[in-house]
Amino acid sequence: MTDASYDLIVVGGGPAGLAAAAEAASTGLSVCLVDERPTFGGQIFKQPGPGFRVTEPAAVGREYVRGRALIAAAERAGARLLPRTSAVAIRGTTLVLVEDGEPARTVEAGRLLLASGAHDRPVVFPGWTLPGVLTAGGAQTLVKTQRVLPGKRIVFAGSGPLALAFPAQLRGYGANVELVLEAGPAPGPRDVLRLLAAARGNVPLLRDAVAYRTRLLRDRVPLRYRRIVVRAEGEGRVEEVVHASVDTAWRPLAGTEERVAADTLCVGYGFFPSVELLRLAGCDFVYDEDLGGPIVVRDEWLRTTTPDVSAAGDGTGVAGSYVAIDEGRLAALGAALDLGTLAPEAAAARAAPLRRRLARKEAFRRALRRMHAVGPGIYELATPATVVCRCEEVTAGALDAASEGTDDVNVVKSLTRAGMGLCQGRNCQRQIAATLALRHGGSIASLPVATARPPVRPVPIGAVADASLEDGGFFTVEG
Amino acid sequence: MGGGLAGTALAYYLARAGVECVLVERAELNREASGTNAGSFHFQIALHQLTALETGNVRERLQTEVRLHAEAAEVWKTLERELSGSLEIHITGGLMVAETPDELRLLHEKRELEEEAGLETHVLEGAELREFAPYLADDLLGATWCPDEGHANPMLAAPLFAARAAEAGAELRTHAEVTRVEVDPDGGARRFTVSTGAGRVHARRVVNATGAWANEVGALVGLRLPMRAEGLHLNVTEPCERVLEPMIQHIGRRLTLKQSTNGTFIIGGGWPANPEPPPGRFSTTWESTAGNVAVALRVLPLLAEVRIVRTWSGVMAFTADLAPIVGESARLPGFHTLIATTGFTLSPLLAQLLAEELATGRAAIPPAYAVDRTPAGQPTT
Repeated sequence: MTDASYDLIVVGGGPAGLAAAAEAASTGLSVCLVDERPTFGGQIFKQPGPGFRVTEPAAVGREYVRGRALIAAAERAGARLLPRTSAVAIRGTTLVLVEDGEPARTVEAGRLLLASGAHDRPVVFPGWTLPGVLTAGGAQTLVKTQRVLPGKRIVFAGSGPLALAFPAQLRGYGANVELVLEAGPAPGPRDVLRLLAAARGNVPLLRDAVAYRTRLLRDRVPLRYRRIVVRAEGEGRVEEVVHASVDTAWRPLAGTEERVAADTLCVGYGFFPSVELLRLAGCDFVYDEDLGGPIVVRDEWLRTTTPDVSAAGDGTGVAGSYVAIDEGRLAALGAALDLGTLAPEAAAARAAPLRRRLARKEAFRRALRRMHAVGPGIYELATPATVVCRCEEVTAGALDAASEGTDDVNVVKSLTRAGMGLCQGRNCQRQIAATLALRHGGSIASLPVATARPPVRPVPIGAVADASLEDGGFFTVEG
Repeated sequence: MGGGLAGTALAYYLARAGVECVLVERAELNREASGTNAGSFHFQIALHQLTALETGNVRERLQTEVRLHAEAAEVWKTLERELSGSLEIHITGGLMVAETPDELRLLHEKRELEEEAGLETHVLEGAELREFAPYLADDLLGATWCPDEGHANPMLAAPLFAARAAEAGAELRTHAEVTRVEVDPDGGARRFTVSTGAGRVHARRVVNATGAWANEVGALVGLRLPMRAEGLHLNVTEPCERVLEPMIQHIGRRLTLKQSTNGTFIIGGGWPANPEPPPGRFSTTWESTAGNVAVALRVLPLLAEVRIVRTWSGVMAFTADLAPIVGESARLPGFHTLIATTGFTLSPLLAQLLAEELATGRAAIPPAYAVDRTPAGQPTT
């Protein structure tokens, strides 16, 4: 019942997936790349949506151009690129793919490379569900695919490299950014020294950071360190953002609250790897909150602990596009090595420069860590009335009551329905875990997550139904 | 032994009858089939009770079962009052559809049998069916309507029984996995010594109500039951505007379908889930989703645009002859079993009957469900 087969199927058409598809196809592997969105490039290299025609690439921006080049390289190498196609289930190396409006198809591969990327770390605070509050990724999608600014008076609250990059990019699109709140500390002399020590091989990253900071300074956008959003207020939509100074654990300090008028609040406290497919594939994980949470275990060729399944890019721990591209290539070389289109010496030779660059990026990331370590205070902002699971409308108070007698997330889920809605917990699962950890004294890391189940994305019954399948015949009388 | 619906209901009925009783559960109450099933009441004869598309060869067994189902319907109707609490019971009625002339003939056969056994059902055909259930595919040949069917919330039933059992004096021990059962034939009130992860319990009688794990517990005393554990697959959709009041089943294909109170459609009916090596649970499969929703779509065409958001699985006890196993072992007097194959529907009733037997010594369970029944008790196929 397989509809097609490839040597390598890559899931995710961002930097990692595109680079992997090009590299693998160049060694002679048959490669298929799927992405659920209408255009490739992932989040960072997101391309304008259908209906847009680019006449001046440089005017659209550097990220557009870099994304365009990656797409062209994958196409040139002979990879098959399928947009609007979701991978909804996985067994072994067989994937179920659903293209928008089409019946589900089963596709087999010699090797799977999961490069599903990351989504914004959801942060729950009073008012987070008000219209006008959106994630950095959501705002980015608006400006990059539709050329629409999210509002007229924008406050950005977040942390990490994105807290500089994103407001600066918004300024580049002509947006009125009123205020930028960075949860981490201002870089001190020691941070600068650490970064300079790790600068070898990372000059583009440093140059980017300086350019973003310069842009905000030039445009007189106030950037305030060690402050986070504590709530959003307004009648029917955001009208004011309340923010406060925080300690090193990101817990608000009494008496430091301030208000600012705004019609839009962009929230970007880092990212969370999209691990649904990796979980369904049965891969092993470790935990690192600063890299986004659950981090899939991989070997030197980026193979996971599940046979014939590799993983690359931000979906394996958020490290950005430069790392993602090199990881994608490295995973592709590993696949080529295992599938026999590349001799061991040739694979090692091509991998060596990638590994060198990845090691330097890792050093750089470690140097940044003090400034961007995620504080647990970010998960403690909800009041009992705050809705945590927005699909099923479950409040923090209801979650707290349900977690009184148990520290099992599956029990809390079945008692409250939290995490059972359309997003399948992508928005609320961290907050639920944090609630349990706070009440029972464990750490988020030690809590098992809810059982992974297909489908990974909601799929219409009309696309799923296969009348040719017979049931298992449980109900027979044993002879 | 066993903190599901059967065990908690039994503890309640025993305690209410003044019997001193301890319930031991290896993990938390209501975590397995009792809490993960769809909460439906199955009263009319269904596909899973048949061995072929006819009733003639298993007439006697079916009549026994339908009589039991009619009694169970009465139990559920009064259970919220009995337990002074909400179980979110909705008596919506249930439809069982037929696609082929053979299936339609079977609906008429089973209606007769159900009437004789005391369960009210009607067969609707043609314009009458279309008027009664306009949402059904209009080329279905007919459907049985059973006004007593409906559903309760499976997350509430066992916990409420447990709470009332505790109030009536039963002791409930969770995280008390049974590791050993010793028998002293002359022990009297200390005939059985049950060792658990939370201490030892002495008892005159023990009841094995561990559902899919009944053979693992039975093995502790050398008893083997004619049953096996299987994983069942369920699908749930996004919430939709309310269109479907009754539960829908199919007389010839594996389907149960209903719209829950929050608007989601729950689709199941006996499609398999795969066993995983421990500590894994049964995993849902794409094939079960695709096959199961195809039957649902055939019956309810409006589902085409509705999206599946999640699948889940539960593990269930299947007996070799499809009938419940309830009562005392002749080989090991004092050791009782309580396995209701249509567990959610029948457990409260069977627990009530077993409690009556235990408290009064009077036989209350149909002999066809005896633990040590011979192959002659099985349906002839």
